[in-house]
Amino acid sequence: MPNFWIQPALRLGGIALLGLVVGLVWDLTAGLGVVAAGLLVLVVVQLVYLQRLQRWLDDPEAAVVPEGWGAWNSVFSTLYRARRRDEASRKGLTSALERFRQAAGALPDGVVLLDAGFHIEWCNSAAEAHFGIELARDQGLLFTHIARHPVLADYLALDVGAMPVTMRPTQNQAQILSLQVIPFGAADRLLLSRDVTAIERAETIRRDFVANVSHELRTPLTVLTGFLELIADDIPREPAVARRQNQLMKEHAERMARLVEDLLTLSRLESDSVIAPSTRVDVPALLDHLGVDAESLAAGRHRFRWDVDPHLAVTGSEQELRSVFSNLVSNAIRYTPAGGDISVTWRLQKGQAEFAVKDSGIGIAPEHIPRLTERFYRVDTGRSRETGGTGLGLAIVKHVLVRHQAKLEIDSEPGQGSTFRAVFPSRRVRHLDTAAADTDPAASTG
Amino acid sequence: MGGLVEQQIVDALAGFASGDIAALDRVVAADHEVNAMEVAVDRECSTIIAKRQPTARDLRLMMAIIKTITDLERSGDEAAKIARMAKQIFERERMKMPRISDIRTAADIALGMLRKVLDAFARLDTVAAAAVIREDQAIDDEFRSILRQLITFMMEDPRTISMAIEIVFIAKAIERIGDHAKNIAEYVIYIVKGTDVRHTSFEFIEREAQS
Repeated sequence: MPNFWIQPALRLGGIALLGLVVGLVWDLTAGLGVVAAGLLVLVVVQLVYLQRLQRWLDDPEAAVVPEGWGAWNSVFSTLYRARRRDEASRKGLTSALERFRQAAGALPDGVVLLDAGFHIEWCNSAAEAHFGIELARDQGLLFTHIARHPVLADYLALDVGAMPVTMRPTQNQAQILSLQVIPFGAADRLLLSRDVTAIERAETIRRDFVANVSHELRTPLTVLTGFLELIADDIPREPAVARRQNQLMKEHAERMARLVEDLLTLSRLESDSVIAPSTRVDVPALLDHLGVDAESLAAGRHRFRWDVDPHLAVTGSEQELRSVFSNLVSNAIRYTPAGGDISVTWRLQKGQAEFAVKDSGIGIAPEHIPRLTERFYRVDTGRSRETGGTGLGLAIVKHVLVRHQAKLEIDSEPGQGSTFRAVFPSRRVRHLDTAAADTDPAASTG
Repeated sequence: MGGLVEQQIVDALAGFASGDIAALDRVVAADHEVNAMEVAVDRECSTIIAKRQPTARDLRLMMAIIKTITDLERSGDEAAKIARMAKQIFERERMKMPRISDIRTAADIALGMLRKVLDAFARLDTVAAAAVIREDQAIDDEFRSILRQLITFMMEDPRTISMAIEIVFIAKAIERIGDHAKNIAEYVIYIVKGTDVRHTSFEFIEREAQS
């Protein structure tokens, strides 16, 4: 503060001193005249700078910062510094705001900011896609005029903070959105929209699965309890009838056991790690055992042809691969009438290992093929039950193959037969070296 | 109200595709909601005109709203009609003709028109409205092709006639929904530009819309 007064005091003192000198040398009037003139000059100078300040404040961006004189200098520079500080903090705020917007924009869920009258204030790109909004055009429009779904209108009309609702947007019927309104600020609202299509689908699959399992388990149980009631009530049965009934009970109990077994396999496949191990599996040996089992299952009703490459192996889990091969072969046996042909091939095809089962059975209509690997999906309910299928075989096959990065290919024509192919990628293919042949006793003695 | 009508049409067509009688019944039952909305909007408009005496664009907006709700209500009636016809078809017997694809195409165009025109109304976007008017041609073409197909079916097998007639009604209802959407598009241009473009050529409408 004292700094501020020194210069003006010096100037005023100088003028007064000059006036005093002139007054003493000439006369009092001339002295007063000099003082008046000096003060006038000072006032004019102050006014000029005041005007410069005014001009600068009118247009702070473009105009050059005025040069000051005396105290004006410090006023101008203080103002200039204040302005720079404001600008910097405004820039900081803007970029922070922009970052928040970007963060909200990057959310996978839709976010819409609505004011008290449900006008659109801001939304992110996910919300634009969900509701058909174009922010650049629709800012300030009534939200329910753009997103006109009746559920949405009813939901917004409810008191805020209600439970989330789900709806299918009119423009995309396949999608399911879950909506929630959250009040914030004075009377503003935040509308969150989440795409729950996948979750809903998973939920439907789970519900269907539980219903199917209960149904499949109940059928054999009904048979068992029915016969057991007869036995418990000591109702006399003819020996032939009793034998037949016992046989039926046994069959149904076995079917339940198989079903539980398959369910356990499936759940183990699901809970295990996603990728199958990379230990080598001697597939030709596996198929040897399988061949014996298969021909005994078929009991001479089918003609088999085995075409197995003895040097071709793949990496994976032996137990899982056995269930894949035996499921595919036993399916072929089940769906091929007596006297049919079944040929099993294991060979290298374009660097990939291919396991193929071709039968001359009843075949599958094209509309069923994409759904065959669904759990409990049956082309013909009666037939597959009577042949003892659980409805889970191909589901297990598909699961195992996915874990081995392999593909299941199905070619089929009704009445002509089907070909099921499991194709393993080249990186799982191994060559069985001739070590096996070397240790062959026949080779060493011969 | 627009949203409700859109949903009614979507539900009616989904019911027609899937044969879900309960869903079709719901569409027929919900039609009265659309009617009630028309009455309510109508009353509100007369109140505004009486109390505030709107002029120029505001007056045009009022007039257009009164006309639009009539078209919307009729579209809602068409949805109910589709639901009733579909119900009759499915209650009598399962259909054995390739019906879905062409009707589905026409219905998708009609629904798209209605959605776009309601968007254009909300945004007062005359260019989008003019585009909707042009689209009406596609629905008319689609309707004629459905008709031609059905005639072939009927000539081949006279037993399909009663069913084909019901499908004709459904196709006609879809075509009418397209017409109503076109009418609403004309009101949008009327609100913004103040020119009545009903019963004029495309070229005139598009010039007006872009002016």
